[in-house]
Amino acid sequence: MSRILRATWVLLLKELRIELRTGEVVVTTGLFATLVAVLTSLSFYIDRQSAALVAPGVLWITVTFAGVLAMGRSWTREREHDVFRGLLLSPTPRAAIYLSKLAATLVFLGIVELILLLLVGLLFNLDLTEHFFPLALLLAMGTVGFAATGNLFAALSVRTRAREMVLAVMVFPVVAPALLSGVVATRELLGGAPLSEVVGWIQLLGAVDIAFLVAGVWLFEPLVSD
Amino acid sequence: MALEFTRIEVRKLVKLYGATRALAGVSLDLQAGEITAIEGHNGSGKSTLLSILALAARPTRGSLRFGRLDPLERPALRGRIGLVGHAAMVYPDLTGRENLALTAQLYGLSPSGPEVQGLDGRFELGRFMERPARTYSRGQLQRLSLARALLHAPQLLLLDEPSTGLDVKGVERLTEAVRAERERGAIVLLVTHSRALSEALADRRVVLDRGRVVSDGDAEHAA
Repeated sequence: MSRILRATWVLLLKELRIELRTGEVVVTTGLFATLVAVLTSLSFYIDRQSAALVAPGVLWITVTFAGVLAMGRSWTREREHDVFRGLLLSPTPRAAIYLSKLAATLVFLGIVELILLLLVGLLFNLDLTEHFFPLALLLAMGTVGFAATGNLFAALSVRTRAREMVLAVMVFPVVAPALLSGVVATRELLGGAPLSEVVGWIQLLGAVDIAFLVAGVWLFEPLVSD
Repeated sequence: MALEFTRIEVRKLVKLYGATRALAGVSLDLQAGEITAIEGHNGSGKSTLLSILALAARPTRGSLRFGRLDPLERPALRGRIGLVGHAAMVYPDLTGRENLALTAQLYGLSPSGPEVQGLDGRFELGRFMERPARTYSRGQLQRLSLARALLHAPQLLLLDEPSTGLDVKGVERLTEAVRAERERGAIVLLVTHSRALSEALADRRVVLDRGRVVSDGDAEHAA
């Protein structure tokens, strides 16, 4: 176990170092998220009531597409100079490769989601301070399930020609339970429901996250092996 | 040492990709201190054999032994294998130094240990190592690639078309490094289309055709 954690840490530091140097994942997805938030606020904003109905969809749609973009970009790095092959030839535990990519995705998307929450609050004229922590928790939990599945299929995409198609076609049906739970719980919260009414959705998200994480660690090695 | 070996035995190795038979019963013995060249046309099974020996692919049938060890049950043996291919297998946005430090850590070595420090003189690594690998010339990439593959003193060294795209100086550097590995006692397997490289380096040449060994002899007498 300590070998897996040590290798995960080493590979996560590598991800962060490359991102700090290039900025390509956070900048690309951050700009994309900003653009979607601005365009949807211009298109759908009528008043505060309608905003509370539209905002959950805007949040989750943006996070989903930004996530696909981020994971695709992150795994594309492994194609250059055949570096993923080098990683698979090393004694690095396969679970560590998967977990480091997952952790990096959570860091990158966490930054983008923070910006997105602030933007949506501002552009849709919503006071999110009241719900900030429950909303952040929902987004974080939804992102864990989404990224756990997304990174599994994104790893496959390193070796296939139809990279974006593999991600889009395979990920969305699988992560539907996580996304639906997140959207409904966010809608309830912004609609004024107390936290106790969304606890069930949070528990469901937690169960989905655990299932996706365990499946990801378990399936990664057979999926990337010949 | 638990993961040491001086001999590799390949027995009746078969590898199927769907209906395609990439290997059709290859048997081979590889010895420490010997360079074996694997030759053959495209599709003869060379790369598949190399992938199985690198523990990157599992055979469909047949057995593989690294000394007394079954490598399919001991993935830690990957730490005793090095591979040099035509791709450098380094991150272009990291510097050469950072790439070597990362490799060292993944192989359980200290990123600033003597194994890493000793590479500079051995592979003529210079100031370019402080720049991102994206900016390297082909020759600089090759030096980094050799250093990365040999950093952990592998017991099995696999060379997959290593001279592709190299100039004369690059091929000389590669040849010297591989001979040094043979002297150190490594088992060396060279997969190449280059008859010149094979003749310059190999002690033994094995020819594959449609997944089978059709010739196996010392370098002077092989077909």
